[in-house]
Amino acid sequence: MHSNKYTLIFTAVLTIILGFFVSTADSSLKDMREKNIEADIRKNILSSLGFKETLESPWTNERVEEIFSESIIGFVVDSAGSVIDGKNPKDINPDKDFKEFPIYKRVSGEQVEGYSIPISGKGLWGTMYGYFSIEPDGATAKGITFYSHIETPGLGAEVDKPWFQNNFPGKKFVDPNGKLIGIQAMKGGVDETSPEAYHQVDGISGATMTTNGLNSFLYEGLKNYDPYLSKIRSSLSL
Amino acid sequence: MALLDKKSKKAFSDPLMSNNPISLQVLGICSALAVTVKMDTAVVMSLAVIFVLAVSNTVIALLRKMIPGKVRIIVQLSVIASMVVFIDLVLKAYFYDMSKQLSVFVGLIITNCIIMGRAEAFAMQNGPWRSLLDGIGNGIGYGGILIGVAFFRELLGSGTFYGIQIIPDSFYAAGYQNMGLMVLSPGAFIILGLIVWAQRLIANIEEE
Repeated sequence: MHSNKYTLIFTAVLTIILGFFVSTADSSLKDMREKNIEADIRKNILSSLGFKETLESPWTNERVEEIFSESIIGFVVDSAGSVIDGKNPKDINPDKDFKEFPIYKRVSGEQVEGYSIPISGKGLWGTMYGYFSIEPDGATAKGITFYSHIETPGLGAEVDKPWFQNNFPGKKFVDPNGKLIGIQAMKGGVDETSPEAYHQVDGISGATMTTNGLNSFLYEGLKNYDPYLSKIRSSLSL
Repeated sequence: MALLDKKSKKAFSDPLMSNNPISLQVLGICSALAVTVKMDTAVVMSLAVIFVLAVSNTVIALLRKMIPGKVRIIVQLSVIASMVVFIDLVLKAYFYDMSKQLSVFVGLIITNCIIMGRAEAFAMQNGPWRSLLDGIGNGIGYGGILIGVAFFRELLGSGTFYGIQIIPDSFYAAGYQNMGLMVLSPGAFIILGLIVWAQRLIANIEEE
């Protein structure tokens, strides 16, 4: 039988050794991990804006950096829909700056090819984070991606699968009068003959909570950008 | 001393078949259900568990005479948890996409009964070499079942093997459909049940 003193010393020493081991591993892998997270977010912005990874040029972290600096412009809009000069999406802390919204624009020369906005909200198990991209008309979905969620694999986690995301392009999130209406994922699939089908996509069977969450936070997210997007819409219709 | 005397061999080979942690002892079922929708996640999960089992078993066997009996479970858990955090960090640094898919289940290796079970039941009584073999053996026994379940679930549920389409398009055209049940947890229960049954039949095991 070991004495109490021995037990205390043993556990203290073991804790220090294991703590040292874990923190060394953590700090030495930190840079790589953060680069991966950063690159992963950028990958999401890129793929939401229609860039595709190919076998010939896989998206290494360097390649992502290159495409990003070539054709993506990040800026910040306020709740009235005006661009805030000199602010970078990197300066925005989503937990603090509730009135300032980062947005990314895909450009090719002078031509705007689409916008991408961050979206996030509650799924079934936790917060889901992703990007939603918009055609230059400010009214049509261009794509959607998710880079972080803890939904059930095989069910809610299908939100990051191509079959689900491919439903979005071409769908409208404003009604014919120009009012924001969002995009709804429908349980059991979209009835293509319905007059509402223009803002509906096929839902995920077995993941009702995830899709309900998505429907509502996508709408809330778009609401923040609606002043800016409606300016784009009215400038185009003039 | 031979590297593989009879007892060491038994420590390694028993958990593969005749005393498999999943199908005979029915431990570690949670993760066997959670990460077996696809082959790739099952394979990475198996490798992670083999690593954690092998290292934690060896470390605990080395410390077994020093560990105070009163706090042995906590000591075992600290060693296991450190290894799991380590493997999670490595996955995040080198296999970021995979770590995203496995999400919480890597962290949940800590609570996998197999690992604590082996630490408590084997590594506390045996030397490091034998414990290492026992850890690897149990890890492979666990991984084998995981991969077996994942093989059937992915094939029947998604029509693919390791992400490559296996069921030809002509089948789908003729009305074949992927079995949606297989991507859900009940599919894993059914496959696992069938595997347990088949294995008990083959290994000729009878419940007392």
